[in-house]
Parts: sequence; structure tokens; C-alpha cells
Amino acid sequence: MSSISELYDVSWEEMRDKLRKWREENYRNSEQIVDVGEELINEHASKLGDDIWIIYEQVMIAALDCSRDDLAWSCLQELKRQFPDSHRVKRLAGMRLEALERYEDANKLYDSILQDDPTNTAARKRKISILRAQGKSSEAIRELNEYLEQFVGDQEAWHELSELYINEHDYAKAAFCLEELMMTNPHNHLYCEQYAEVKYTQGGLENLELARKYFAQALKLNNRNMRALFGLYMGLFATSHQPYTPQNPEAQGFAARNRDEVDCVQLKFQHIHGEGLSC
Amino acid sequence: MHEDDSGVTKKRTLQLPSMSVPLSSHEMGEVELSCLAYAKMYLHASQFPRCSVNGLLLSSSAAGGAVCITDCVPLLHTHLSLAPITQLALTQVDVWCSQTQQRIVGYYQANACASDSSPTPCALKIAEKIFEQCNNAVLLMIDGEKMFPGCRVPPIVMYERKDARWALKDKHTIMLRQWEETCSIVNQLFSSGDQALLVDFDSHLDDITKDWTNQKLNAKIMELVSPANGNV
Repeated sequence: MSSISELYDVSWEEMRDKLRKWREENYRNSEQIVDVGEELINEHASKLGDDIWIIYEQVMIAALDCSRDDLAWSCLQELKRQFPDSHRVKRLAGMRLEALERYEDANKLYDSILQDDPTNTAARKRKISILRAQGKSSEAIRELNEYLEQFVGDQEAWHELSELYINEHDYAKAAFCLEELMMTNPHNHLYCEQYAEVKYTQGGLENLELARKYFAQALKLNNRNMRALFGLYMGLFATSHQPYTPQNPEAQGFAARNRDEVDCVQLKFQHIHGEGLSC
Repeated sequence: MHEDDSGVTKKRTLQLPSMSVPLSSHEMGEVELSCLAYAKMYLHASQFPRCSVNGLLLSSSAAGGAVCITDCVPLLHTHLSLAPITQLALTQVDVWCSQTQQRIVGYYQANACASDSSPTPCALKIAEKIFEQCNNAVLLMIDGEKMFPGCRVPPIVMYERKDARWALKDKHTIMLRQWEETCSIVNQLFSSGDQALLVDFDSHLDDITKDWTNQKLNAKIMELVSPANGNV
């Protein structure tokens, strides 16, 4: 079995830089991280300097993802030896227990961290992840809501909550979470597009119109977002076929305008097909 | 013809299908799952172990009689319960099927939580939609707990429409041809790295040049399926 450096003809510096990139951009390509990281640790530990500790952490988490408890354990031991009283390392130990499905023990560990430091967000989030892993969605939602009352700016938590609500088919609350995210991240096309999808799923003329607007906004922010383009087309199509009703006298106005926009979007699709960008 | 403890009837080749069918089964249809369909479903679930995944089951044989699931289209691995992309995918697959003489005959899903293989409301909804067009449609849930190497039982649970609800299908009416060969083909795909070729509809939307009909992977799988055993 040849090494990564032989297979891909890369130096240890390039491997270290790749790991840093994956770390900074929060990639979860765990198998690759394990392959590259394990080699880096085994062959080049002395050259890495202080970087080695953060690499141990990154490789340990990836190893848990790949059921490599042997690797996870050895990384954890190194970290424990270097940072004996660290909450951060304790959290990693907790994650290993979670991976082994020893949720009771993991919870005890996280509770002990929180006793020492009640503001430790990592431990609280791990506890919520345990609830999620056990399928206890309503409890996870409740805990996450409580967490967000204290830590209102935590984007990751808002997004996690929106996912939980979507899985529970509570689209109104999911939309609320995404609204929070859009307010703090007005240039993020993915949040706009997800919001539009939730509105579309809720249905009804008003929601479809809103969906259409947000798909269009997502496209404005990133004109290569295919979901937004298809969503816009479907939103236009859906709203252009709404009949006039006394409750909704504007429907026909929307319909007429949207039929023109359907034609524009169709032209855009043909353009994409023409460039050979679809299969 | 033999049955192992799982109750799934394994068919040897060259046996007449009618020999294996219990008399009462003409009421509940027989369902045959091809190697190609099984392999792609399995790869799809393996590619996204942290997500719920779903897809459609297709048949290239005529309606009536036993349902032969000859292929599948992996659809989503994110936000399965949101409408627009699901509707889009169903429409596109429908169009592709009518162009390639195939029919949508079922739906499969693998839940993110491996220990829970019960159909979600979203699975039931989509299966209902398919049932409107195909009256012997099946709903297939992948059982994550049985997806370990060396498991001797197919990790699937099938449901059919009976008395206005989805009921567990009798295992004796589910046929998986050449189960051992199918398992070894899946293993070969993993060891050659070809499992990474699988494209689902979500991946296609992320990169529109990717082929959600998986022509390349289909060809690789059909190559591995032994030609001496006839159609799979």
C-alpha cells in the first residue's frame, strides 16, 4: 500500500497545507483527512512543530467518522498528555464516547465541563447532538431553543434548528430560523434559496410569491445556483396558473406578469443547454 | 430454490419463476429486485452516511404481473421533505422514463438514523404519489443496521399498498436474484473506488455536468454482472 505522498507526488508541506485548508473551510471529507493526517503524524511529526496538536484534533474527529477508534484513541492520548486539564480535550473524549454510542458516559463528561464552565458552548452543543443521534427531535429542538435564547448570534445553531424544524415538517418555524440567518448574512445565496424552498413547500399564493422573490434574490447573489434557477421557474409556473378569486384579486396581475417571466427563464435554460452545461 | 433464515427467497438461475410462487401470491404481487437497482441504492446510502437519502425505483418491463425493479435513480441527500427539488426531480425522471421505456414503480429511502428504518411522512407522501400512477408500487426502506460487511440478509424492508395504507410486504414475495453475486459486485465497486462514480440528483444540481442517470456507473455494474446468468 503506497503512501499518499507517493501516490499523489506531494511533499509533507503540501499535505499539511491541505489539512489546514480543509480545517479552515470546515470540510467533512473524513476518509481523506484520515489518510493524509495519519501519514503526516506517523512520518513527519517532528517537522510539524506546534501545528501537530491541531492536526491531532482534526484527525481524531475524522477518525471517529470513519470508525477508526485505534487512530482516534492514539490522537486523544497525545492530546491528553500535552493538555491534561483542557476542556477542549475533554470534549474530544466525549465525542469518542458518542462514537461508541456510550451516550450516558458522554453526557456525564459534558455535564462536568459545564459545571466548571457554564458558558462552554461546545459541550452544550454536543449534548444537543446526542439528543439528535438518539432520535429525540423534540427534546433537541427544545434544548436548542433554550441555547439560542442565550447565544443569539450562533449561526451554526440557527441553521441546525432550521434543519430540525424542516425534518419535523414545521415549515413556519424553519422559515423563522432562516430569516434570522438571512438578516445576519444578507449576501449568502444558500440561505435565500433554502428560505425560498421552505416557502414553496408551505404553499398558497402568498408563500409561492415570496418563494419566487427569494429564488430570484438567490440568483442575483449567485447566478450559478441551479436550485434557485429551477425554483424560480417552478415558482413562476405555479403562480402564473393561479385563478382570480375574490379573496385574492391580485392573483391575475401576478399571473400575467409571471407568464412573461416564465418565458425569460425558459430562454435562460435554453442558453444553459446550448452551452452544453447540462447532461 | 432455497430459503435462508431471512425468509428472502434466493433464486437460482434457470428455475421457472412459477415454481417458486406460493398460490396465494397472485393477490400480493411478486417483486423482483435487480442487481443494478440494489447496488446503486446501497452505494447511494453508503455515499452519504450522515444524511437521509432517497430515490426512485424503475422498471423496464411491461405493467401487469410481477414487478421487476430493473434500475433506480438516486435523488436527494438533503432536505428530503422540501417540495420544489423533489417535484423537479420527479418531473425530470418521469420525462426520462417515457423516453427510455421505463416506468416509476417505487420509492426508496434510507434514514440518517441507522437504527430507525420506519417510513417517514415524506416517504409515505411520495409513495402515495407514485401509487396514483402505478397500482403495484412499492416503498422500500433501507435498514441501516444491516449494512455491515458480511451481513447475510439484504438490508431492505418493503411495503406495499393494502387497504388504503402501506403494509409490510411478505418477505416470500420479494426476490433478489443471485444475492451472493450481488454482494460481491458491491464489494468490488468499493474496492475499485467506482462507488464514487454514483451521482444523485442533488449532486447534479451542485454540478450540472454530472449525469444523474449514471450511464457510466450502470455500464461498470453491468460489466461485473456475469453474462452467463442472463438478464439481471
